[in-house]
Amino acid sequence: MKHYEVEILDAKTREKLCFLDKVEPHATIAEIKNLFTKSHPQWYPARQSLRLDPKGKSLKDEEVLQKLPVGTTATLYFRDLGAQISWVTVFLTEYAGPLFIYLLFYFRVPFIYGHKYDFTSSRHTVVHLACICHSFHYIKRLLETLFVHRFSHGTMPLRNIFKNCTYYWGFAAWMAYYINHPLYTPPTYGAQQVKLALAIFVVCQLGNFSIHMALRDLRPAGSKTRKIPYPTKNPFTWLFLLVSCPNYTYEVGSWIGFAIMTQCLPVALFSLVGFTQMTIWAKGKHRSYLKEFRDYPPLRMPIVPFLL
Amino acid sequence: MAVAAATAATRGNGGGGSRAGAGEASSARKKRGPGPLATAYLVIYNVVMTAGWLVIAVGLVRAYLAKGSYHSLYYSIEKPLKFFQTGALLEILHCAIGIVPSSVVLTSFQVMSRVFLIWAVTHSVKEVQSEDSVLLFVIAWTITEIIRYSFYTFSLLNHLPYLIKWARYTLFIVLYPMGVAGELLTIYAALPFVRQAGLYSISLPNKYNFSFDYYTFLILIMISYIPLFPQLYFHMIHQRRKVLSYTEEHKKFE
Repeated sequence: MKHYEVEILDAKTREKLCFLDKVEPHATIAEIKNLFTKSHPQWYPARQSLRLDPKGKSLKDEEVLQKLPVGTTATLYFRDLGAQISWVTVFLTEYAGPLFIYLLFYFRVPFIYGHKYDFTSSRHTVVHLACICHSFHYIKRLLETLFVHRFSHGTMPLRNIFKNCTYYWGFAAWMAYYINHPLYTPPTYGAQQVKLALAIFVVCQLGNFSIHMALRDLRPAGSKTRKIPYPTKNPFTWLFLLVSCPNYTYEVGSWIGFAIMTQCLPVALFSLVGFTQMTIWAKGKHRSYLKEFRDYPPLRMPIVPFLL
Repeated sequence: MAVAAATAATRGNGGGGSRAGAGEASSARKKRGPGPLATAYLVIYNVVMTAGWLVIAVGLVRAYLAKGSYHSLYYSIEKPLKFFQTGALLEILHCAIGIVPSSVVLTSFQVMSRVFLIWAVTHSVKEVQSEDSVLLFVIAWTITEIIRYSFYTFSLLNHLPYLIKWARYTLFIVLYPMGVAGELLTIYAALPFVRQAGLYSISLPNKYNFSFDYYTFLILIMISYIPLFPQLYFHMIHQRRKVLSYTEEHKKFE
């Protein structure tokens, strides 16, 4: 069996970084990345992007050398993706922050609302209910990150964690400040409004969890295969008939419920920003479903049934 | 001419992933730029805006000559200044509908920050209108805008005099810091009056469970200049090197 020679050049400077002789023809890109790391330990595999063209697309880890359009001497171009961090770490930091920060405001720790309110409790029932809902939401997300989600991409750039945490933590503090404020004004329509909002919130949380479970069951552990998700026996997953990403639909629903419950403008703004971001993600996912599957159900929209 | 094109091509590649040189950019615009109707509209818009800022410049000079003092010149040009600076909002629309190839976000940011300063600071806090700092940014803006809008006009007509190109990529070295200084000093001067009057502020309790403190907001705006100003300034210096050095080479071959 004939061996391949692989040379790796820097995509920017064209400087020769590494020469690998005697590479097995059926070696994958992942294996080449591992060989490259041996001569350049600062670039661990997740940091590397290897491509055939300096400005082209990154090769996937599972691609095989002999199936690439190269001769027996392959030239690959390397780009450093920067420091990487695992998705699980990012998600846990993102979600643990709001959970903790909200509670600081709920318990009115010193230096927030003035000395005389330190560790006092709100006289409005809705404030306590809101705290339960908010904490439940983030505990659910943390547990899902640990036990439900399967991440197809192992890592993301380190700078993402700063960006994402500023967003989640900042909004959590802003919302919590007003909801737990001693001058908080309870909802205009009283208990009725709170009950309706709670119902929306609970239904959407159950729905979101059901979708996450359905997506998990769709992809067996360790595999990277993709399938069209369909409704299951669980009625909450029936939303798959109408939208590609019902998990986002339910997530936005939860926040709308929380906004109605607390009647707090920053919560409404957070819902709106979240909705915008999730719509962008849902459209991307929807597009990739349409591209990948010819028989994709035509009735489905990305995130809002019949509309968006 | 063929040699010049070849130089442009090597520059484009040799730049190592940098954006296309000025020559390539203008030929790209010819290919998929705005249609004749949009071009006609843009020419009219830019001519009107150039004229508008010229009116402001002339107004400033005349008022100065009439008064013999540069204090409180703002009142003599208040109306055209508000009108033409607000008219710059159309630039965001131009980017959004794609007849101008600039970034919508960046353009919005630049235009909105000026519209904010005109309406939410200078117009809203009467006490600062007679400050000299207002004149500082008004003069900087006026010169910048006359050059910028005439630059666009001539570019659209494909007859850009080198002097205007040079001025656009050179005068900012002085005008940009001058404008920023004027803007910061004006906001700073407005702070005590904003606090005293509780201007544009919302306090708890209210049924939306939301509060807003314009005084703090203005301080945050001032702080945001610290990271933004050097970034934009050095971006412009970089642009200057790219655009002007290309032209010099280009001229050698012609």
